[in-house]
Amino acid sequence: MTKRFNLAGQMPLLTLIILCVATALMTDRFLSPLNLTNILVQSSIMAVIAMGMTFVIVGGGFDLSVGSTVALAGCVAAMVMLEAGIAAGVAAGILAGAAVGLANGLIIAFLNVNPFITTLGTMVLVRGVVFLMTGGAPVPHDTVLPGAFIAFGSDRFLGIHYLVWVPAILLAVLSFVMHATPYGRRVYATGGGREAAYLSGVPVRRVVASTYIWCGALAGVAGVMLAARLQSGQPTAGEFYELTAIAAVVLGGAALTGGEGTLYKSVIGVFIMIVLGNALNLLNVDSYWQRVAVGAVIIAAAAAERLRSRQ
Amino acid sequence: MSKLRTAALAAALLLPVSLALLPGATAQQKTTIGVSLAQDDNPFYIAMLRGIRARAQELGWDVATVSANEDKLKQINGVQDLVARGVKGVLISPIDAVGVNAAYDAAAAAKVPIVSVARGSASPNQTIHVAMDEKQIGRDIAEWTAKKLDGKGKVALLMGPSGAPTFRNLGDGYAEVMAKYPGIQIVVKHDGPLTRERGVKQAEDALVAHPDLAAIYTANDDVALGAMQAVNAASRKGKTLVTGMNGVPPALRAVKEDNLAMTVELNPVEWGRLGVDVLATYLKGDKVDPRVFIKHVIIDSGNIDAKLPKT
Repeated sequence: MTKRFNLAGQMPLLTLIILCVATALMTDRFLSPLNLTNILVQSSIMAVIAMGMTFVIVGGGFDLSVGSTVALAGCVAAMVMLEAGIAAGVAAGILAGAAVGLANGLIIAFLNVNPFITTLGTMVLVRGVVFLMTGGAPVPHDTVLPGAFIAFGSDRFLGIHYLVWVPAILLAVLSFVMHATPYGRRVYATGGGREAAYLSGVPVRRVVASTYIWCGALAGVAGVMLAARLQSGQPTAGEFYELTAIAAVVLGGAALTGGEGTLYKSVIGVFIMIVLGNALNLLNVDSYWQRVAVGAVIIAAAAAERLRSRQ
Repeated sequence: MSKLRTAALAAALLLPVSLALLPGATAQQKTTIGVSLAQDDNPFYIAMLRGIRARAQELGWDVATVSANEDKLKQINGVQDLVARGVKGVLISPIDAVGVNAAYDAAAAAKVPIVSVARGSASPNQTIHVAMDEKQIGRDIAEWTAKKLDGKGKVALLMGPSGAPTFRNLGDGYAEVMAKYPGIQIVVKHDGPLTRERGVKQAEDALVAHPDLAAIYTANDDVALGAMQAVNAASRKGKTLVTGMNGVPPALRAVKEDNLAMTVELNPVEWGRLGVDVLATYLKGDKVDPRVFIKHVIIDSGNIDAKLPKT
């Protein structure tokens, strides 16, 4: 029993490996250094969003507003950066994300509004704010962002893109938070059974609210990264990112009912989504069929997960 | 239950392999060029792709396409994938003048020429831009409209996606001419995606706010077809002129039926062919101007019969 459980527990990793091996067998371009670097860079921004989403989903919640938050953070960062320099811009972007998370968290945890509806509301509201703030145009549209910031979006450190270092470091730090601190255990306990957690003295409202702050702040980090990648703050950026992030977290084995999920497996989930898209592009699969394939993979993975947990 | 689980596991593992069976999945041997269009579900780009495919086939080339669907990061990732795949050249219709610069950088880093078709980029790495004379087209549409309106009336502008310079230039050319007519007022000006749905909605709202609207300018035929529906539903057919842009077949039929006042033919099929030809000339080592213009023709009730697609 234990042994079988372990194999099934590594489903995400197994799926990723099979996907990579199958693609590598079909095209020798897949394992080229250029392509492997591409996959890392392509995964980096979504990995940061998915980590935040993991906090919320483990805590028993749900967040649809991350895509809009990514756009908000990118535009705020770009605007502040033009006035007050790179450091201020980056900080403002992340804080803007955290503020959206705080609002979500307070409404959900203390007013007991359904997380789906709350974040659906903030998703639309925040997108509106971004358009108001920017007038719908990219920031900046007549000058350029500081060169050092654009370099952050394309240059490397020790052979690895800066954009890849960010999720790598965050994964190490946040895994520690989730698995080696009392706070992390409280998040799992709250998501696993709110009543039981409450009775054993966990301040569940504060814990739930905190998961949304993590999610918002990490979406803020992702927004800043995206602005560097796109060399501008883009008001339309990040559309549908929430769906990709949720799919990746579920592919990584998290339960939407809460209490289950691991940061590194969510990152593997992101890799599955990105490698799948990359493989389909390398194999020149028609773009309409790509949508069918991606949808089928999400459902198949979720179904496999469901069957595993039913036993 | 254990059998079921094994079956699910097997299904999940087989899924990636089955991707190779999807239509279009091929290994590469011939000269392959990559194509990344801003959308893959817009008739204009569908027609352009048809032209690209047809001309490439005549040259004995393979075409690899990646989709972006107005997602800038997805377009960057797609072009990276094409370059990793080893294409000899890339035809791109960039979503945004700045946001997808990283795609041009990826091509340039691998010394792959990258030709912008239709929309252009500000990237210094853009090899050639096969463009339309956007400002002139905007001016021509405005002159045509002003003449029809006898130089007076309220006009609504349904522009393109924010940030795309093509649509800003079209609108600037239009506004420049209209400024010469004191009797014409621009009362509505909205950005938005190039979809019929959005055309209906914004035109409906414009007609509610200004029931005596004399003309609706749209940046794209799909938006025009949507606006046309709203005009007909408000019983304003013949009283509110709708102008389109691009000359896709459904728009030509609408001009024939007097629902659409005019459109501008850019012949996307020819455009696709021209893009391939320009790339072929460049790859041969011949000199090509950095900016190549495609001609445009105004289509209205006067010349529609000659332009209708033959059935």
